[in-house]
Amino acid sequence: MKARVAVLVFPGTNSEVETRDLLVDCGADARIVHWSEAASLAYYDAFVLPGGFAYEDRIRAGAIAAHDAMLDAVIEGSEAGKLVMGICNGAQILLEAGLAPGTGAIRRPTAAFTHNIQGHFICQRVLLRRDAAAERCAIAAALPQDALIPAWAAHGQGRLAASSEHLEEIERGGYVVFRYADVRGATGAHLAPQGSALGAAALTNRRGNVLALMPHPERDAWNFNHLDRREGEDVLAPSGGSALFESFVTALERM
Amino acid sequence: MESRAYAVELKIPDNEAYTAMRALARLGIPVARVERADLLVIASDESDDMLRERIEHDERLFNPNKHRLERLSDMRPREGEVWVEMLDAPRSAPLRRLVSWRLFDQAGKPLGGEELDAACARLLCNSAIERAIR
Amino acid sequence: MRDLAVAELDDEGLRARADALGLALRVDELRGIAQRLGRAPSLVELYAFDAQWSEHCSYKSSRALLARLPTSGSDVVLGPSEDAGILHLGEHEGERYGIVIAHESHNHPSQVVPFEGAATGIGGIVRDVLCMGAEVVAVADPLRFGNIDFDRRHQRAVATGVVAGISAYGNAIGVPNLAGDCYFHSDFDDNVLVNVVALGLVKESEIVHSRVPAHGADFVLLLVGKATDASGFGGASFSSVALDAQEAQSNKGAVQVPDPFLKNVLMRASYRVFTLLRERNIEVGFKDLGAGGIMGCSAELCSAGGFGAEVDLDAVNVAVDHLLPEVIAVGETQERLLWALPEELVDEVERIYNEEFSLPQVAQNARAVRIGRATAERRFQLRHRGEIVMDVPIDFLTGTVRDTLAAEAPKPPRTQRERDRACDRSIGDLLHATLAHRDVCSRAPIYRHYDAVVRGRTVIPRGEADAGVLAPIRGSRLAFALSVAGNPRIGRIDPQRAAEHAVYESVRKVVAVGAEPIGLTDCLNYGSPRDARQYGELVAGIDGLARAARGFDLAYVSGNVSLYNAASDGHAIPASPIVACVGRLTDVSQCVTLALKETGSRLYLVGETQRALGGSVLASLLALPDEAVPELDIERAVAEHHFVLSAARAGLLRSAHVLSDGGLLVTLAEMSFGCYAARREPIGIALDGLAGWSSTGSYESLFGEWGGLVVEVAQRDVERFEELASSLESVREIAATIAEPLLAFEDEAWDISELHRIWSQPLEELYP
Repeated sequence: MKARVAVLVFPGTNSEVETRDLLVDCGADARIVHWSEAASLAYYDAFVLPGGFAYEDRIRAGAIAAHDAMLDAVIEGSEAGKLVMGICNGAQILLEAGLAPGTGAIRRPTAAFTHNIQGHFICQRVLLRRDAAAERCAIAAALPQDALIPAWAAHGQGRLAASSEHLEEIERGGYVVFRYADVRGATGAHLAPQGSALGAAALTNRRGNVLALMPHPERDAWNFNHLDRREGEDVLAPSGGSALFESFVTALERM
Repeated sequence: MESRAYAVELKIPDNEAYTAMRALARLGIPVARVERADLLVIASDESDDMLRERIEHDERLFNPNKHRLERLSDMRPREGEVWVEMLDAPRSAPLRRLVSWRLFDQAGKPLGGEELDAACARLLCNSAIERAIR
Repeated sequence: MRDLAVAELDDEGLRARADALGLALRVDELRGIAQRLGRAPSLVELYAFDAQWSEHCSYKSSRALLARLPTSGSDVVLGPSEDAGILHLGEHEGERYGIVIAHESHNHPSQVVPFEGAATGIGGIVRDVLCMGAEVVAVADPLRFGNIDFDRRHQRAVATGVVAGISAYGNAIGVPNLAGDCYFHSDFDDNVLVNVVALGLVKESEIVHSRVPAHGADFVLLLVGKATDASGFGGASFSSVALDAQEAQSNKGAVQVPDPFLKNVLMRASYRVFTLLRERNIEVGFKDLGAGGIMGCSAELCSAGGFGAEVDLDAVNVAVDHLLPEVIAVGETQERLLWALPEELVDEVERIYNEEFSLPQVAQNARAVRIGRATAERRFQLRHRGEIVMDVPIDFLTGTVRDTLAAEAPKPPRTQRERDRACDRSIGDLLHATLAHRDVCSRAPIYRHYDAVVRGRTVIPRGEADAGVLAPIRGSRLAFALSVAGNPRIGRIDPQRAAEHAVYESVRKVVAVGAEPIGLTDCLNYGSPRDARQYGELVAGIDGLARAARGFDLAYVSGNVSLYNAASDGHAIPASPIVACVGRLTDVSQCVTLALKETGSRLYLVGETQRALGGSVLASLLALPDEAVPELDIERAVAEHHFVLSAARAGLLRSAHVLSDGGLLVTLAEMSFGCYAARREPIGIALDGLAGWSSTGSYESLFGEWGGLVVEVAQRDVERFEELASSLESVREIAATIAEPLLAFEDEAWDISELHRIWSQPLEELYP
């Protein structure tokens, strides 16, 4: 039986449809699960927290959602080794919930994706490079080495921040899975469009079953999203950013 | 140079404060009302009147159609109040921006020490990136 | 006293009382109401008529004129009779799909509280599309700001606040910003223009109408959304809550408060209700609350269906106690919609909103609640505290109100004088000045605040082509294009031409991406209808819109009129007709972007150069007086557009870009700049000598804004392209693309990266 992926919808989430669609197009049995259906999450094998503005980022992005009942199932699942991927607002929620980098206690965050250096929302194309060994994070493991994943940065609070001690720990422990890159594949803090520390676009946890990714590969994931870079003739086929989701599905099948 | 604190409060309905109240209540904090304000802590030689006028005429900070400006008599939070500031915001900057949260219970009394601490630690302040001033 | 003894007052006394109450109704209107009712009208009734008969709701100064606009055609599914219009997009898997579109202004609120005014503008236009049963898929924001020099603090605050408001709202509800524009001129210093457009996708078999259906007698009126409060009611002279010290802190003014968090949830809950309706195959009515609040919405929803209405104001969910009945009835609290449902559906729909989507937890006392019913008797009744506070014939309330106003015909269009245009500024100097001009420079600093790609269906985001393109249907190659246009520099000179130009440019932008224009919307932003000259500009504008639309065989399916955009000293904005155009692509793979693709390509100009420089950036840079606006040959433009679309469908166009603000050199430079966004090295351009393609002097040829477009054709496609073009005289080869990153003309060559730097920077300082 195929593993079931839940795409969680909190009040204020807005990217659930394309996230679910891409998972399906990459071969997953993915379903949208709404906050009133939180009890059903126990029956899912993997969780994806999509982008949006849960609670409109009130108080702080991801802060309120981190306490939602739906997160209880995600936390339990994560501790049991289930795959958990958070994108943008989903990533913010995972950090607030302490699931990534996971160097502190549950719901006692040690890092955050916080206000962009510009002080406002930015929307622009980015390139991501996996900057960790393949086996460090199961979700990204099937990506080719040095692959550049196209995505969109679309956030107001996308800058990784933490104390300098914690940032050192994050770097040393290989928690940074993706960094912002240029077309030649070079990475560096200066390439993070919002000033993210360590040039980090995504973090994993100790175990490698969690991925908290700020940019959106699912918005650059079909040929019609990038006609000038289309792969093959079918303009409706997945390509580009879909590579990460394919890796996710591969990881799921390997479990 | 003197440091003075001003609270810029909404006089139109504050959606964020309402949501914060609901979220805190769900965590078991006995709060019935939350007030939120943007705090400006300004180091300046100007007189109170001049400084107030300067703030009121800076549309990036204040719009009389939706804001009310209050000078805080003390340079620290009032009862039931916590100030939250980004850790990487320099404390010596001439203009510091903080967020003020004031929590009140069902009877309208400001929340006390332990409950306020809990509200801070669990929701209002992410100690990885923010400091809470009580 | 809760009513006004109209009959007992003389005109002066009546005017004084009306002013004291904050009513804008005229004395003759007040007397007409009293006479029709046969008694003294109640205060609730007066505020209701004040709202319903206001310019904003009744269109009394423009309705007769708007009848001149074409509103039907083969692609029109629903014209401008409901909350939004609908155009036919295409078919997929046996279903016909429509694009729902609405276009409005939120000018005055954005001047007062820029963030909230602009945000609630987006909120309102999204509701207009949602209530037709559609999934909201895109928004656009054509903006007109004042002079934003360093010392213009108010104008700068408005310009940044508006963008922040549009960003905060659109991003939170998850609707991509697909198109928009921005002009800056001191004429807008005290009268900013914030126009908003929203698009939705709906199956034509699933359209929900803004009226109670024919069999809807006794249908329940179910109000959903935010709890009604005192926001958005009346002017400063009116105190909207019973005096109470505690309540003194609540909003007394007219600020409308946005809540995109609530709206996000409301949209999703409504989509769930749409699914329920389809499952049950039941026809209902659904309408958004805007101007006129509960009163206006329920009255229009019911009267449009041929019914009356009874509403109990005590049933309305409120956020504040002791609201006066007129505030509950007429106030414009945001984020509310009204259903007309058969009894059998009500419990289930309430449960969806209140439990499944937990509205009461999302915002204070937000919920779905029954407030009344549609009645066979054609009266409009409001009850409060057990008493009837309003009881009027419904058609009298919602029926057509007309004003006959004096219009002064605008000055006849200028004829272009033959004059010697000796200019001592070099072309390079003018190119730099033009690229840096506020109406030409890069708008990226603005639109990067907006989420362009949420929902993952964006094909061409802003900046990469002249129109945004989105493929809304999963599994289908169908796509739509969206553009906006409206040049205020032309509006200052010639109001009729400005309207024609807005149509021509919005249509041309859609054609430039390879899409076939299928429909238009319009927003008419003018000064005071009480001023004969300004009113004359409105008349001329409508005539221009009608003429151009007919020439292009297109219809207007939605629109808005915003009048009284004038300062207290009478200085009005330039005539500002703003048009949005929707286009259809049957195969999304055929769309065309503006970035140059290959070296060794040929660039062709489609269109004719003209001497006239009226409304051009060059004319403003050189302060040229009395310039005529370029002519518009609609018939020739139609042929040109037909040709461009044929070429695009045949795969012959590598890139295309309209000639617009700044003129030809700017157009060419921008096609090269597009390479940067595509993360490629910029391709250069070698422009042929003028003799080969221009009938005018160099300044007019290089900086004139006479319309048309530039297209890139690969060397291998030139023969087929030129054969296709052979029937047109206005297609001329003008340049070649080269590997060197230069824009070269005669013995000059400008470095593309330097030009790009000049073009990219100007708005960075206001929008860092």
